[in-house]
Order: sequence, then C-alpha cells, then structure tokens
Amino acid sequence: MLTNRPLTIVVGSGGVGKTTLAAAAALESARQGLDTLVMTFDPSLRLKDTLGVGDAARDREVEVRAGTRGKLVASLLDARATFDRLVRRYAPDEAAVRRILENRLYSHLSGTLAGVLEYMAVERLFEVATEGRYDRIVLDTPPTRQAIDFLEAPQRITGFLESGALRVALKPWFAPDGRLRVTRRLGFVGRSVEGFFDRLVGLSLLRDMAEFFLAFGPLYSGFHDRAQAVSRLLTSGQTAFVLVTRPEEERVPETLFFARRLVESGHQLGAVVVNMVHPLFDSGADDEGDRLFAWLGERDARGVARFRALLTRHQVLDVPLLPDPPADLAALDTLRALLVERAA
Amino acid sequence: MPPDTPLTRRSLLVVTGKGGVGKTLVAALLGRHLASRGRRTLLLEVDPRANLHELAGTPPSAGDLVRVSPTLFLQNLQPAFVMEQVVRDHLRVDALVRRVTKSAIYKHFIDAAPGLKEMAILGHAWRLLHGMGPESAHGIEVVVLDAPATGHGLALLTAPFVVAEVIDQGPFAEMAGQLATFMGDDQQVAVVTVTLAEEMPVQEALELRDGLVERLRRPPALLVINGLYPELPRGRTRRGDPTTELWARRWAMNERELRRLDARWEGPRLRLPLVPVHRGPELVDALLPAFEAGLDDAGVIGADRAARS
Repeated sequence: MLTNRPLTIVVGSGGVGKTTLAAAAALESARQGLDTLVMTFDPSLRLKDTLGVGDAARDREVEVRAGTRGKLVASLLDARATFDRLVRRYAPDEAAVRRILENRLYSHLSGTLAGVLEYMAVERLFEVATEGRYDRIVLDTPPTRQAIDFLEAPQRITGFLESGALRVALKPWFAPDGRLRVTRRLGFVGRSVEGFFDRLVGLSLLRDMAEFFLAFGPLYSGFHDRAQAVSRLLTSGQTAFVLVTRPEEERVPETLFFARRLVESGHQLGAVVVNMVHPLFDSGADDEGDRLFAWLGERDARGVARFRALLTRHQVLDVPLLPDPPADLAALDTLRALLVERAA
Repeated sequence: MPPDTPLTRRSLLVVTGKGGVGKTLVAALLGRHLASRGRRTLLLEVDPRANLHELAGTPPSAGDLVRVSPTLFLQNLQPAFVMEQVVRDHLRVDALVRRVTKSAIYKHFIDAAPGLKEMAILGHAWRLLHGMGPESAHGIEVVVLDAPATGHGLALLTAPFVVAEVIDQGPFAEMAGQLATFMGDDQQVAVVTVTLAEEMPVQEALELRDGLVERLRRPPALLVINGLYPELPRGRTRRGDPTTELWARRWAMNERELRRLDARWEGPRLRLPLVPVHRGPELVDALLPAFEAGLDDAGVIGADRAARS
C-alpha cells in the first residue's frame, strides 16, 4: 500500500493531511509485520496525541502501543537538535564545537535559514536508515509553502554551508584567525563591492558571519560527503515518495509540477494521494447546504478525474474527507483501512 | 489613553495563518472593502505562486504594481528585488549595483542574514506608505499584506527586531530600527489571523496569538474563521446517508472549534461560510456582503461609521 520500499517520504504542501497519512501508512506497515518507524517534524506535535506517545517522543523514538505484528515506533523530530548533533559529529574538537554553537548567527541560522528543517529531515532519515534497525521508515516532511521546496532545500543548505565563496569574499577583511584586519587592502573592486558592504551592514555582522564560516571550515568536507550520500539514498531503489494533494482545481498545477520534477531528478514516485475528497451527493432537497454539498462533490470528482487523466504513469488514490480528523489510534486505523481499500 | 484606531483605518494589515485556510481570500476581501470606501489600497503578495490576481480578476502582476480598480492596486513582490532597491538607493551607479548584486558575497549574505528578506517585504510597504520610491506616485494609503504561509507569519512580523539585533549600523540597521518602531505601533499596523474551525488550524491560530503577544506585545486585531459548513436543516435525519452524516459531523466539528475559540480567543472574530463558488472574483463578490457585515458586527469598522452615528 502506498509504497513497498523500505523508505517512504511523504511530501506535499501545507494543509493536505501529510502527517496523518504518514501515520496511517506506518500503521499498515506495522500490521503487515514490518518493524516501522514514523518520523515527523509536525510543529503542532499533534501526532503524539493521535498515536498516544506523549512528549516522550520529542526527538526520541517511542514505541506505539498499537498491537500490530511489527513494531510501530514514532519520533517527533527537532531541527535544532539534529543540527547540533551534526556539528558535534563533524567538528574536529570540542573547541570547534563551542565556536559554532556559541556563534551569535548560529542560533538564528539553525532556526531560520531556508531549508534547514528540510535538510535536517533527510539527514535524520539517513542516520536512522544507516543504522538498519527498522524494516521500514516513513518520513513526514515539514510543511513547506510548495512541495518542491523540500527537494531543493538540501542542495540550497549544503551549497550554502559548503561554498567557499563567502569565506573567500570575506577574506580581505579578516586575518586567518577570524579577527578583523586593522588595515584593508582596497583596490577598485574592493572599494565598490566590499567597501559598500561595510557601509551597508557594518562590520560586526560581517565579523560574525566570517567567524561562523571559519568555524564551519573543518566541517565542509564532512557535509559534502554526507550530502552526496543522502542524495544517493533518496534516488536509490530503497526510497519511494508519496505525494499528497487535495482535489481543488488550484492544487493541480503545483502537484503536476512536483510529480514531474521528482521523476526527472531520478526519484521514485510511488503514489499520488488526493486527500479530503467530498463524496458525490444528491439529496433531492434544495436547501443551501444540499446545494453546497452537491457542488463540493462535483468539484472534487472533477479534480480527482483531472489528476487521473494527467498522472497516467502513477497510482492516483482518492481518499474521502473524514467526518473528523483522526485524533486517536482507532480513528487512525479507520483511515488506514480506507487507504488499503482505495489502493486495492 | 486614546481610543484604538479602528482596523480599517490603519495603514498596514498583515494577513497570517496556516497554509490552505484562505489567507489570500481574506486579503482580497479586505482589499475590496477598503478600496470601496475610497482608501487607496495595495494588495501585496509575496508567494511566487501568484494567486491573488485570480481573486482580483487581473493578469499576474509579474512584480509590477498594477491597478485593479481606481482605488485598488496589486503587486506580487520578490524580496530580492526590494533588497536590490536598497542597494540602488545607496550606490546610484548601475554598473556598481550590478557588480554588488551579482557578487557571491551579496547572494550568500542575503540568504544568511537572519530576517533580512522578511524585513525587505515590510520595508517595501513602509517605503510606499511614506512616499518613497517611484511606486509611491500611486499614493497608496493602506497595504494589505498576504503573508507567507510557512511559520505562522511570525517570522515576518518580528523580522525587524531580529535584524536590529544582528545588524548595528548602516542603512539596513536604520531600516530595521524604523520598521521595529512601525511594527510596534498598533495605531498603524494590525495583524489579521485566518483559520478554519478545525482542530489543527485553531491550535496554530492560538499559538500564533501567544507568539504575537510575547513578541509584539499585542494579539491580532481580528480573527477570521473561514469555510464554515452550514447546519443540517431542521428535521433532517442524518442516519442512513453517509454524506448527510459527513455534513452533520463537519458542522458539529466546526461548532466544537467555534466554542473553543469563544472560550480562548478574546477580541474580534468574524465568520465566513463555505460557499459553492469557484475561486475567482466571483468568490470575492459572493463573500463580500457577509465579510462586511462581519466586520461591522466585530466592531472593527472605522471612523466614517463612527462619524455617522
């Protein structure tokens, strides 16, 4: 169901029901007898209530009492903790670790730099996958504005961290130890670009940035190798993506775009789930609500038909809108059964 | 203490909320309402997947400030473009501007400096409202900003404070200082939060409110609860037909969450129904009467109403 690969990555824009579907897919996997881990960055931490694991699962793996043949384990990921762990792993010594973790920019960067969360999600997936403790891992990706951001983010962040460009550009201002030079060599180019930057943002920010990148220096090669390994894993036969969307017309272009990009970049797209579909409805009555539900049913049926017509090379599963979003294991199991039925 | 400036008389309205709750729709409704009352209004969008123009019924703005009606304007803004404007203002020579903006240090700097891109968006609104830059010739009096969906928009609202913290001199620091003062002024700036009456969006709306109170020292000026299902007609039995069952339970879920908001959200609230109309100017037309009545009921309509009474 959804995928038969050891690694399943659930992607889609915000508000499409990724987290709940990831949990339902993991539940089915555990029922089939596979030891399964479901990982999420769900910022509202709602999954912990649905699975009944509580805050204990914050950045740790906690077994869900689901009574399945295989183990079902949940982990609620924390981007900052993952980033800190990476720094610790690749920094040459404790002094280097401290220099980075105590840098004024690091706390901002690790929280706000575009793509950090997404990169940390695949990073964590790689960590756990390498350890081989599970038969299957289901990763629920962070809510992005557009699904495509997830694919591009890791390159952006590693490109940013690895690129020597900034270090080189900042070099004329700083001595090798990261301290500000007292005198600067300023040629014409220096005056136009760097002199301007000095005026634009001031030296204290530039000093912080230079320090950050100098501190990161010894980690570059580690990050680089790691990013390549992560990228290989994501395009390997072990990994499949599940793309979640909704039936509204305005979702069609970005869903198609993302499906195409996934495949073009060598990834395996397992299934496209069209979630929260209103059923067709004809009550015979003509109240305001009857007209609304008839309209919603037709709109969503048209949307699903459109996805099926346009995504002929992928399995398109339509999942009906549930009366209430699943809030406990029993309700999650209902969704799981629905998914199995639609996939059959 | 002077009475609060009504929501509709302020100069920057930032519309926030979780993805998929109808933020863009509420921004379009606010824009139409303000423009219809004669205020020269700019709908400002920062999502590269431009879709505000669909609701306004115009072609994509492609970054330009375009006119929708005599008093309504629209712009899809690229933050990188705003940053370039700041550079341009300080360098003035095209060749040098290109040199700076094409340099590796500039690109990485824009990516790395926390809050800078977000601040540029607010800075653009501020400059327009203060008659700076060529586009201020349009005489914009109020900007309705359709905030990015990720985060809760909190990162955007607090960006000037973050920038002021990391940059301490030069034009960006100056801009951050001005914007921090501006954003802190609740006579000029209002946050409008949009939610659905469903558990997770309501949870996020409550978290956003707490974050705003903590960081900006004030709650959102208005909560719009969008997409409400109608009540099952009296005497209709829900049993037997699954869709009628779905209808009854979606409505009950809405009611449950509305009660939660009644208990936990102090301050003006406005409800919008789910209507059978496709996304486009027709949807704005269909919802505008309910939206305006809701603004009135919530007590957030401005001075000319007060003057009448």
